[in-house]
Amino acid sequence: MPTRAFVSPWSLSRWLDRSSLLLFFAAWELAPRAGGLLETFIAPPSVVLMTLWELLLSGELCDHVTISLGRAIAGFTGAALIALPLGFLLGGNFRTFERIVTPVLRFLGQVNPFSLFPLFIILFGISELSKEAMIFWVCIWPILFNTITGVKGIDPLLVKSARSMGTGVVPLFFKVILPAASPGIFTGLKMGAGTAFFMLIAAEMIGASCGLGWLVWNAQINFQIPKLFAATVVISVLGMILNMLLVTLERRLLGWLDSSPNH
Amino acid sequence: MAGVVDVPQQIQTDAKIVVKAITSVFHLKKTRTEPAREFIALKEINLEVKKGEFLVLVGPSGCGKSTLLDILTGLAQPTSGAVYIDGNKVTGPALDRGIVLQGYALFPWRTVRQNVEFGLEIKKVPKRERRAISDNFIHLVGLDGFADRFPHELSGGMKQRVAIARALAYDPEVLLMDEPFAAVDAQTRESLQDELLRIWEATGKTILFVTHSIEEAVFLGDRVAVLTPNPGTLREIVKIDLPRPRHNSDTRSSAEFGWIRRKIWELLQNAPHESRHHLNAVPVAEAISPTASL
Amino acid sequence: MRLPAAVNSLLLRSSGVLIFLILWETAPRLAWVDPYFVPPLSIVVREIWLLLETGDLSRHLLVSSWRAVTGLSLALVVALPLGIILGRWLTGLASALEPLLRLLSQINPFAMLPLFLLFFGIGETAKVAVVTWVTLWPILFYTIIATRTVDPLQIKSAAALGVSRSEMLCKVILPAAVPTIFIGIRIGASLTFFILIAAEMLGAGSGLGWLVHNSAMNYLIPRIYAGATFIVLLGFLLNRLLLYIEASLSIWQGSQSGSPVAGQSRASSWRPDRGSAVAGTAILVLVLILGALEVRRLNQEALAGASSSSSHAKHFGTPADSSDGGL
Repeated sequence: MPTRAFVSPWSLSRWLDRSSLLLFFAAWELAPRAGGLLETFIAPPSVVLMTLWELLLSGELCDHVTISLGRAIAGFTGAALIALPLGFLLGGNFRTFERIVTPVLRFLGQVNPFSLFPLFIILFGISELSKEAMIFWVCIWPILFNTITGVKGIDPLLVKSARSMGTGVVPLFFKVILPAASPGIFTGLKMGAGTAFFMLIAAEMIGASCGLGWLVWNAQINFQIPKLFAATVVISVLGMILNMLLVTLERRLLGWLDSSPNH
Repeated sequence: MAGVVDVPQQIQTDAKIVVKAITSVFHLKKTRTEPAREFIALKEINLEVKKGEFLVLVGPSGCGKSTLLDILTGLAQPTSGAVYIDGNKVTGPALDRGIVLQGYALFPWRTVRQNVEFGLEIKKVPKRERRAISDNFIHLVGLDGFADRFPHELSGGMKQRVAIARALAYDPEVLLMDEPFAAVDAQTRESLQDELLRIWEATGKTILFVTHSIEEAVFLGDRVAVLTPNPGTLREIVKIDLPRPRHNSDTRSSAEFGWIRRKIWELLQNAPHESRHHLNAVPVAEAISPTASL
Repeated sequence: MRLPAAVNSLLLRSSGVLIFLILWETAPRLAWVDPYFVPPLSIVVREIWLLLETGDLSRHLLVSSWRAVTGLSLALVVALPLGIILGRWLTGLASALEPLLRLLSQINPFAMLPLFLLFFGIGETAKVAVVTWVTLWPILFYTIIATRTVDPLQIKSAAALGVSRSEMLCKVILPAAVPTIFIGIRIGASLTFFILIAAEMLGAGSGLGWLVHNSAMNYLIPRIYAGATFIVLLGFLLNRLLLYIEASLSIWQGSQSGSPVAGQSRASSWRPDRGSAVAGTAILVLVLILGALEVRRLNQEALAGASSSSSHAKHFGTPADSSDGGL
């Protein structure tokens, strides 16, 4: 599956022994030494690492990371808490209603979160709530749509066979419907978590006074090139860790899925 | 469900399953505006299955055999008439009947063992007992060593064995099977048939087996109930006098086997006028073929 | 028989939108929600009309689309040949480069935004470069995968006919790869709008993102909604155009139900002819040309107005000397 290949993580051991990466880092290290414009604009990895170490020692880095992660988690959790039950209701019990509201939901899902962000700022100020509202908005749509699709796609034969064994409503939900819909749900959660982090950085650049996005933006404005590079590296590494965690979690939870694309 | 009310809740009978005057009518609407058309899926079906008997329902697609099975399972309600198990009216699904469906319907997120234990969990059997029971039935269907595999790692025939083990595990007295072997290849199918007979003899369950293959019906059944479509009616019940045990012997090639097969085929061919009209519309050879199971 | 059902379904589907629009109008009017923060639909429509009349909206719309389309085209120009080469011929190099490409693609593009602004200033180059950067990766990866996974049987049977290398590429590999490549292009296009709007909010003097941000700065709330609506519209139109072109390029495909992009199930059931695809491409080219002219005009205006005109830059404390690398 091409989608999977695109987001798939690349395990640590696999890329460490790849020469292209080493070459890249070597070039990055050496390029600024050529002088001129490159020297002004590029901080070599050694300097970046040192800056990172300083940021870490001063505790500044930890603060920003915790703040950013806190915002992402708050928005994401809020979105999941609303989107999951709603998705089950729309996908399972209220099919006609689902058909009516889907176009509206699709439209809302298309609304670019950045165009709403100024509104959130006006509503909530440059407080945590404006960022959390933005993450909430970003996360809720993939979770909702994928849950609906997951619930709608449950093989009726599975439900039939469970019901023929006299399964009650509650066990039916927890033992059949929930696991059967879990691939869809997980896809939604994964997409939500990925975009949440992605968007958060931009949101923090546009309207925040702390957090990783602000750190990058502030470094750019003040022309602190090593800090700018260091923050970019932290953001990228965090994003990769998040991605790896999600993929590991997926393997754990959905190992039973037939991975061969034969549908 | 006005017709259901005047049916007694209990009857006196020796038979395991009694199907009494079942009629099932669907109201079909092709579009929202069009007035509903009545479609009689089953008309006045009467049937008795003795304890420990292997009864096969055979008929072409659309003769209502799956509807009948849904009613027996308790997943569907008849328009009139009732089904009794041990003299008690069936009102809904329960663990006294095990069901095996054509599409396996295994839960893909559960291993073979967890699938087999599903009904036991619903029955709230303690974990240790569950394990012993599932071990036993996994062994019975010949899947030792596959207990911790997931369904997608199994072949079609193996999946169907798991489905059978799952239906047997919670110890129902009646096993209802809806074209369980339709999706597997011919060779696997024969071995599964042999296996089923062996399991049936070992467990003494009452089995009601639905198929569209005449060959399969004759090979498996004590009696074969022939259903004809449009509306679904019970044409005749044919007693199969072939000696048992039939597995591991050349039952399939005996002259008598061929003769019974021929007789059922003719019964289905010379259906009453109204249904013959239907059969001509659908190519008969496709709907029911005496060699469908090869 | 099918028509009434189709009409019915259309009515059912549109009823939701209708109710939504009615709610949008009535809820603020009946003060269910604060009309200051959620202005009724009619006021937003009037705002859109006003913006259209002054030509503001169309200018920003054109500028934003120009940036999106230019970035996307640049990414295509780079990623398509590179992807084909890496996927088809230099497979050894491809696997050697893969970890590096993955690393670069996983860098949060928003984190790269300041770097791009640093390198290219707040001129057009930075915005186009950011869009190119973002769209480059999905297109590149999907092209590599698409060309790599062409059915070997198809290659074999073509090779048996003795086709040349270029024929093999144009007549076998590319047609087979088109659907997958388009998945990448559409993912890229949807990312484009996220990053473009953010970039325009952070460092620009025109474009829809700037319009929305500027309106917010000046508390022109109906204008935010007007801008937001147009951003949705633009994203939707670009996606439609791409679907249009894709459908005509891969007519052989029975249905493209396999593509994972959400919200296009309805669109995939219809199929345009080649003529309308040409029209779609023509629109894209038109956007490119008109947009370029407009952007050039704007930049000249900005230069003429000198540093005093960049009121926006003050909001962010962006260095006013920003070496405009305008095209």
